[in-house]
Amino acid sequence: MESPHTEALSLRGITKVFPGVLANDDVNLSARRGEILAILGENGAGKSTLMKILYGMYQPDSGTVSVNGRTVGIRSPKDALALGIGMIHQHFTLVPVHTVWENVVLGLDSSSGRPSDGKGAALELEKLGSRYGLEVDPLAVVADLSVGMQQKTEILKALYRSVSILVLDEPTAVLTPGEADNLFGFLREFRAAGNTVLFITHKLGEVMEIADRIEVLRGGRNAGSFLQGEVSERELAARMVGGDIPPVGEPSVRPAGRDVLEVRDLWVRGGRGYYAVRGVSFAVRAGEILGIAGVSGNGQEELADCVCGLARQERGEIRLDGRILPREDPGAVFRAGVGYIPADRHREGLVLDMTVEENLVLKNLSAYSRKGFLREGAMRKNAERLIGEYGIRPPLPGSRTASLSGGNQQKVVAAREIEAGRKCIVAVQPTRGLDLGAAAHVHRMLAAARNEGRAVLLVSTELSEVVSLSDTVAVMSGGEIAGIFPRESADLRTIGLLMAGRKGEPS
Amino acid sequence: MILEGLLARAVQMSTPLLLGALGEVMVERTGVMNMAIEGIFLLGAWAGFTGAYITGSLSAGFLCAMAAGVVVGVLYGWITVFLKQHQIVTGVALNILAAGIGIFFYRVLFGVPLLPLTVEPLRPLAVPFLSAIPVLGPALFRQNILTYLAWGAMPLGWWVLFRTRAGLVLRSTGANPEAVDAAGISVERVRFGAVLAASALSGLAGAFYSIGYLGLFSNDMIGGRGWIAFALCFLGNWNPLGALLGAVVFGIADAAAITLQTSGIRMVPNEFLIALPYVLTIAATLARKRFNVPASLGTAYTKEEK
Amino acid sequence: MTAEKHGGNSLSESLTDPDGILSSLFFSSLSVFLGLASAGVLMLFLGHSPAAVYRDLFSFAFRDVYNIADIFAKAAPLILTGLAFAFAFRAGLFNIGAQGQFYLGAVTSAACALSFPFLPSWLLLPLCAAASMAAGGLWGGMTGYFKARFNANEFLVSMMSTYVAVAIMDFLVRSPLREAKGEYPQTDVLAEASWIPSFLSGTRFHWGFFLALAAAGAAWVLLWKTTLGFRMRAVGKNRSAARFAGIREKNVFVSVFLVSGAFAGLAGFLEVNGVQHMVVQGFNPLLGAEGIGIAVLGGAHPLGVVLSALLFGALKVGGLLVTQTSSVPSSIIAILEGFVMLYVILSFYLRHRLRRACARRRAAAGGEAP
Repeated sequence: MESPHTEALSLRGITKVFPGVLANDDVNLSARRGEILAILGENGAGKSTLMKILYGMYQPDSGTVSVNGRTVGIRSPKDALALGIGMIHQHFTLVPVHTVWENVVLGLDSSSGRPSDGKGAALELEKLGSRYGLEVDPLAVVADLSVGMQQKTEILKALYRSVSILVLDEPTAVLTPGEADNLFGFLREFRAAGNTVLFITHKLGEVMEIADRIEVLRGGRNAGSFLQGEVSERELAARMVGGDIPPVGEPSVRPAGRDVLEVRDLWVRGGRGYYAVRGVSFAVRAGEILGIAGVSGNGQEELADCVCGLARQERGEIRLDGRILPREDPGAVFRAGVGYIPADRHREGLVLDMTVEENLVLKNLSAYSRKGFLREGAMRKNAERLIGEYGIRPPLPGSRTASLSGGNQQKVVAAREIEAGRKCIVAVQPTRGLDLGAAAHVHRMLAAARNEGRAVLLVSTELSEVVSLSDTVAVMSGGEIAGIFPRESADLRTIGLLMAGRKGEPS
Repeated sequence: MILEGLLARAVQMSTPLLLGALGEVMVERTGVMNMAIEGIFLLGAWAGFTGAYITGSLSAGFLCAMAAGVVVGVLYGWITVFLKQHQIVTGVALNILAAGIGIFFYRVLFGVPLLPLTVEPLRPLAVPFLSAIPVLGPALFRQNILTYLAWGAMPLGWWVLFRTRAGLVLRSTGANPEAVDAAGISVERVRFGAVLAASALSGLAGAFYSIGYLGLFSNDMIGGRGWIAFALCFLGNWNPLGALLGAVVFGIADAAAITLQTSGIRMVPNEFLIALPYVLTIAATLARKRFNVPASLGTAYTKEEK
Repeated sequence: MTAEKHGGNSLSESLTDPDGILSSLFFSSLSVFLGLASAGVLMLFLGHSPAAVYRDLFSFAFRDVYNIADIFAKAAPLILTGLAFAFAFRAGLFNIGAQGQFYLGAVTSAACALSFPFLPSWLLLPLCAAASMAAGGLWGGMTGYFKARFNANEFLVSMMSTYVAVAIMDFLVRSPLREAKGEYPQTDVLAEASWIPSFLSGTRFHWGFFLALAAAGAAWVLLWKTTLGFRMRAVGKNRSAARFAGIREKNVFVSVFLVSGAFAGLAGFLEVNGVQHMVVQGFNPLLGAEGIGIAVLGGAHPLGVVLSALLFGALKVGGLLVTQTSSVPSSIIAILEGFVMLYVILSFYLRHRLRRACARRRAAAGGEAP
């Protein structure tokens, strides 16, 4: 590659704040023509936010964006497209009931020079497709296509608008290895034509395979900029996860006992029809916290949903204390003694407009009703007790749950579920959106439950949380358990590698 | 002979249903339900009558009716699309208000006349040759101009919706507003425009009852037919041609009721016939299990702010 | 039931607190005021001074005992149709069919009275009341069943069912239940044993008003003191969480419509047995729609419904007299209702924005309390 590389785009000093979260903190990034830049980082590192700023979906609070040397203001995706920037999102922006060509043509500028009628578009798409190895039937309905084909449609959409800078957000998350190879083939072609590719990923293997340069982000900041060949996978993994061992939480008071929650060969479908959970097997013992680490989107949430009856089990078995758990019946699972702290407390966990005391009895109303009437005294007592035990502030059972801070709302959910989960508690992202104090509190609650002899299954994308809290750590990647070890032998770098899709010791 | 008259009347009575349903299909395809449709029908009926009576021109009347519809549409669209308030509650409020305003201003302008004021309604325009075909001829080709327009508008609407770029944008907005947003098109503008178009059509449809058919205005002349047009959008599977089929069926039911009443045949009580269209609507709503409901129907679209 | 947030309530917080009584009262009153003002603008078209019209309206309404008593008589059925909409609304459902449920309740009660005129009052009255509630409840329950079983759009079904109910009532009043004279489409005057006793003799204020109040009380108890009410409110506020909590939605749908329809049906008993003492075709045609307006103005709360119904009752009594003594048409009342509802909707938006602005200021000021 002797051709002169000129700077295609550059982001300087980008800062973006959302309520309660500093998503990007003075981030710098630049990419050249004819180059594939990989942006590597864990969840919450700020990669998607940065790219959305580039694509005009968000406005930065400070910082500048330059394209081809000129500083530009990108107010909307239309502006981005006008500058030749295209983005393939993680969640496709396709209309499922329409055909491929209809999706490609949607919103096409009449000045683009490309046909927007069915026949013309179909011909043009066939040409583009064969040029880049992205053959899709222009007349196929998107909903009928495989995920790989849908992604090709997204890419064709961008190519149809003659983009020269293509941003892809975790593109291989939903692809089979074969489809991923196809994608890489296309990316190489695209680069060879002098274009630029920005490739967001958490998978080290891909980075090593395709990137010319690598930018690592962590916690919203730059964490290292490297050329291919200058850095090892291990070093990248360390940069990604931070390399410091998080403070070790309190160890278990007593050794773990019998298997309480057993999952055998579980297969669960994800939102797009493919299998999100592929033949997962593990067991959580009494008095143990099993933490499942992994980058979001590798099947952990579907796994937890299935255990609690919210998602369908295609194959496999889930047993609680030896007995098969009722399927797809969250109420029954609850009554069987499994508490579930959901990832989205606002959607599934709480009825925000109801009071704290009402939310605390939301799932077992029958225990608090007599002849159809609510036993308010009992409800009040229950609420007062739980408020005291779990430190819910403000300590007013009659306050509207929406008026509580995020941390206290989560305590309400945790209190209810931990109370009910006399056998097992499943906690998914339990400290999301909470400040340090509230998060620590939730951790203490989970540890206390474990100390009482219950089984706790923790699912979290915060690696430090998993490692500091769990007795046993499992890593989920690509829908499978990539590795499972007791906490003492957990090595952060290995875990980082497993999370990034690599197995075993790297070279 | 009776059959001919029945068919002719059926086609005629289907006109306002077609116009209303076409507008509703357009707007629901973008994800918004026009819940003020019944009120707009009535306001349109009033506005059409008033315009025609004062100017002596039916065309002026129809234009007034469309304008009245648009006025209500602006309010409804602003509140539901931009302020993102609840579509049903807003629709109920505007229905009550629009109907009230129509009735009020009729009173203000014309007082309470001893005999109802009338205008000469639309006359049928016979198409030469074609109207001479037995049975179907008079039914299809000896109708008034609005009926011809309405029947013509349906295939036109189908073509616009399914064969043009604008139609693609409309359908995409209802099916996946994020996709439209990502393409750089304002979801709100598309929806607001569709609401205005639907309201104009509904105003026109209402005016059919006053100046297209009866030639007068009365407070309860719409009698729920706005809602039937609304239901036709559903039942026609959000497709103008499907709505056309539905409108024909209801037109026949409506016409059959009138024919049987006037001919004095008393096989079934009158009220049963009057209730028939509504019962049919309920039955059809239940029977249709697989709808192509626009996925975002009824929900306001807010840009994702993390 | 407002929480003491970290540092006392500011006025803006109280005003925008969605559960706060202060907030609801303020915005409801504001909406009524603006509604009156907007309708007043229309009166100018007639060359009337709105101030004069409103002054007359309120002085007429409270002119003498008869008129004041009439306010209660008019408010009674409005409370019930308002409750019908409000109750269903709490579960996130839309019962637009109150008018039809009201009519069926009315004819059923009349049919009872006509069939058993010989029964003593203390038997006949409860029988009629129960019959009216059963008729309205079953008719409403039908909508709820359709929603549960077929996932039908309850707005459309309840809307259509009103027109079917009207047809049924018309039929009944024209044939089987028709008056002996056969002259008009109405029933005979009902037996005196079926008349709801008057509360204030010489006026139309009958004991049915207190029955309506009791119904409002029952609605309140149902909503906040029973498990059905709890489930309803959970489903109404957050369907996903309710489903996740194991609450069976379909049962809730049916129950809610049964109760809601019963409220509307009872209004039929009140009007027929308390005021009209017969059924005339097409009587009280706006009761259902007005109930919706009242429910919205009353914030879908039984107390709010009662207050709003009384307000509308006063507007109707005064308004009727105004229309009789001047050239202001009766449609002004519908216009007033429409405007008030619109302003209430706009106030929702305003409150939402104020709340967001407050929250943003709070978030910027400091973090969360642990």
